[in-house]
Amino acid sequence: MTFDKILDNNTLWAVRYEGVADNALQTLFSQWSDPEWLVDFFLANMSDLESYFKITDINQAIYDTIDDNQRMQCLILDLSPEADLDKIFRPLENSRTSEMLLGKEKAKIKDRPQHASWLRIYAIKLEPGCYIITGGAIKLTRTMQEREHTLKELNKMEQVRNYLISNQAIDADGFVDFLSEL
Amino acid sequence: MKKKTLEFLEAHQSETPSTWREEAEWRRENWPWLRHSQKIAVKVLLQMKQEGLTQKLLAERMDCTQQYVSKILKGKENMSLDTLSRLEDALGISLIYDEQVAYPNMVAEEAFA
Repeated sequence: MTFDKILDNNTLWAVRYEGVADNALQTLFSQWSDPEWLVDFFLANMSDLESYFKITDINQAIYDTIDDNQRMQCLILDLSPEADLDKIFRPLENSRTSEMLLGKEKAKIKDRPQHASWLRIYAIKLEPGCYIITGGAIKLTRTMQEREHTLKELNKMEQVRNYLISNQAIDADGFVDFLSEL
Repeated sequence: MKKKTLEFLEAHQSETPSTWREEAEWRRENWPWLRHSQKIAVKVLLQMKQEGLTQKLLAERMDCTQQYVSKILKGKENMSLDTLSRLEDALGISLIYDEQVAYPNMVAEEAFA
């Protein structure tokens, strides 16, 4: 895998996986604005949409996804060098309150009318305020383990985390220092 | 960012530049019509699935090339009214008029006051 700088101030990066033409962020934005991809996805996952969101209109579900993707793109495009990414990304596990080395994180659109947004961008937290995007998903179920496409994203996060650790990309001592300062 | 992490990421940067920003900016710039194009493509795709209609057959019904149908289905085509009308006729669905405007939305006395 290789890495693409998303923000010039080095706070946001995205993984480019082997055999894939562009990085994970480009793939997400492209899929979430591709009508063919969206129709196939929602036809395959209609039962989750009904069970978890009580939505039966596939047209509306896809229109909402297209609109949310646009909002998500604008959010990333408009990030200023001073933006606090810790306000955009949150720990993946809602129960996690403490910092962990290369923690798994998620970003989603807040304050969406009618229903919660199901779009997720997943990332690994390199250090406070610095993230590397590993992928994303349309999450329609309560847990990521329930569906293959979200489970795959969990595995990708683990893969990137392991890659960074095994290549000693991060300063573990620095992380211990950071924790002691908290 | 810590020097060690930055050095690692920069040493492992992709060889070719990413197109994510220019693509996202293009989508934002063209959003006023692009959102309609994407949503029309969704309607067309769902109707095609329902009917078991192939791109080739739709192209024949519209009297255009299959390549053009493929472009429409990608949701990136700024279609003319002529194209929209031919799509509607080919599929037997409404794409242009989704909602009626409630007019007059006021009582007659107010309208002529």
